[in-house]
Amino acid sequence: MINLTTRYGAFFKVVIVSSILMTLIAACGGANPASAPSANSLCGLGNGEAATAAPIVVGAAVGASGGPADFSSASKGAAAYFNCVNANGGINGRPIQYIVEDDGWNPEQSGQVSAKLVNDDKVVALVGNTSFLDCAVNGQFYKDSNVVVIAGVGVPRECFESENISPTNQGPRLSSIGAAQYMNEKYGATKFVCMALNIPNFGNWSCDGMSEWGKDKGITVDQVIFDPATMDPTSLVLQAAAFEPDAIITTMPAPVATALLKAAEEQDLRAKYHWFGPTSLYDLAFPGAVGSYWEGYLDVQIELVNIDSAGSDNQNWLKVMDGYADAKDPRDSFSQAGFLAAKIFTDTMLKLDPAKIDRASVTDALKAVKGYKSDLLCSPWYFGPGTTHNANHAGLMVKLEAGGKWSVTKPCFEVEDPALAPILELEKSQGLTK
Amino acid sequence: MPNISPFIITGLAVGAVYALSGVGLVVLYRACGVLNFAYGAIGSIGALLAWQILEYWDVEILAWFIAIGASTLLSFVYGRYLAPRLAYRDSVVKAVATLGFALILLGIARWYWSDDPRHISFQMDTVGISILTVRITLTRIVAFGSAVVITIGIALFLNNARIGLSMRALANNRDLSALLGIPVPQVETRAWLMSGFLAGVTGLLLADLVRLDAIVLTFMVIPAMAAAVVGRLKSLVGTLVGGILIGLFEAIATPFQTISPYRSVIPFVVATMVILWLQRHKQVALAKGD
Repeated sequence: MINLTTRYGAFFKVVIVSSILMTLIAACGGANPASAPSANSLCGLGNGEAATAAPIVVGAAVGASGGPADFSSASKGAAAYFNCVNANGGINGRPIQYIVEDDGWNPEQSGQVSAKLVNDDKVVALVGNTSFLDCAVNGQFYKDSNVVVIAGVGVPRECFESENISPTNQGPRLSSIGAAQYMNEKYGATKFVCMALNIPNFGNWSCDGMSEWGKDKGITVDQVIFDPATMDPTSLVLQAAAFEPDAIITTMPAPVATALLKAAEEQDLRAKYHWFGPTSLYDLAFPGAVGSYWEGYLDVQIELVNIDSAGSDNQNWLKVMDGYADAKDPRDSFSQAGFLAAKIFTDTMLKLDPAKIDRASVTDALKAVKGYKSDLLCSPWYFGPGTTHNANHAGLMVKLEAGGKWSVTKPCFEVEDPALAPILELEKSQGLTK
Repeated sequence: MPNISPFIITGLAVGAVYALSGVGLVVLYRACGVLNFAYGAIGSIGALLAWQILEYWDVEILAWFIAIGASTLLSFVYGRYLAPRLAYRDSVVKAVATLGFALILLGIARWYWSDDPRHISFQMDTVGISILTVRITLTRIVAFGSAVVITIGIALFLNNARIGLSMRALANNRDLSALLGIPVPQVETRAWLMSGFLAGVTGLLLADLVRLDAIVLTFMVIPAMAAAVVGRLKSLVGTLVGGILIGLFEAIATPFQTISPYRSVIPFVVATMVILWLQRHKQVALAKGD
């Protein structure tokens, strides 16, 4: 044990006290409602009055630390919107107490934080969840607990195939297929390599989706699936190149894709193949990270609209982020998805009697949502019946252009995943999008 | 059978940096008996600082200087002010203490730099030659060359210089060495400085060759440990060979679809195989009743 009474004691005390103070400042200094727009009519009731009645407890489980990327962007978008709602009358006077827990990319921790949120904090719903683990670990628990999750960003397959979970995004499988559709249509690519992480129901699921889509079209998809801890990206890029494809997709979080694209740059491969990716690469920091070498050579499918879209919900998202989120919080598709999840929750709760808002009534109300229109999406959102939920199945294409800007190259289009057939049938028969 | 030639070339450079990291660990272990789990985290802080400097001023030589200087300083601070307080504790306690230091550094790195996508490049990346359809950058050549030269240089230095003798004496018996007049704190501090310097160099090289990410660089200590185990935590040349072998096997496994997704276990497999090989002539003696 360190003896603080030694001659170094004062030094250590200063360091420890400074560290604690810095941590507290960092924890408390994020959102600053005082600097927000005075009254934002698009947040909840929009009356400019702070909600003070008994809070409604809402949770989120996210994979923030311990993995190859911080997946808390959606919860930050949701938190900004809830802060704005609380400053504008709340849910008919009741503020939303939003509790976000980090699952640390650890299955055991994932179970613990969800149990805490559901059993101890007694949340009425979970909004803005984003995790590689949460859906697989807790999907059954959420069903048994009769609690609904509007996931900000569903990642693995279980997020789209659990009874009580419905994400606002498309997921990596649809985003990858959508991007491949465009590469086939625009560049005539028929021979693909799908590079993805070796995470259960993520990498293979996404790459297999591309194969199933291309099976009847004479399109082949070879897979390079690798462990997130793999140390040599050049070897992976060479492995992909060995298949001699027309186009290569990097289905993975942006930091991992950055390393692969840098390795491809080292081998000067940008023009030899067409490079493309799913929405995870649509990040404002990404162009700066990969550098000017990739400008004009990278196509990305996005699951929600482009972040500079003039749509009113998108503009409101940007204003709410400026007013109620930290300046460092990302402005990306995932943040949009979390914001949208929070907005769906809020708009649904405003229709309920505030005195009767409990888990059962919230679950019933959220499961009944259908035909929810927002310019953040290409088509209306609904929760949907049964165990398969993928309301968002249309997206856009963007291209990385000169100056590190993303420009829209194809407006909203439907993703042609054969696995969507039963969902499309349900939409039609039950009028879910109306 | 896939063509493995390109993978041999790419594996050599990364393996060499593993080896260099392993050498940094072995030098420290030989002198102080500390297995430094913070080695990768120390290197990651230097690499992230280098990235920051390149972002602000784009002066590469300054970035190298600050990165290596910062890693050396961090290693010095731990080695001079914290490690001596654990000098008489069990070696497991010493190792776990460095793990704590690693987590603190990792926490700081993740807090300050978050996980935004970023990469670091040097002028050396723009120069290269093509062999077997693979473009080999000067950075890779430098990584391989420096690993070999530095390892042999350190081995010769420690075998011939007085400081090397002092380090070996310390590793054998700290108290006896002190009685013989060996300045224990100074010798240990020099070992920490040397290890920190190597952590700075390898952190920068791996940030360029692999990924500029605090977690990835922190856990780079795993293949480095495996390389050190191949050298039995004693032999620098053995560590060099071990590191290069691990890098090579990792790369060569890439084109084999069935094992490629599990390449990250290769350091453990190599280390285990070497331990078993070294134990081949030993017999386990069980006491009666065991």
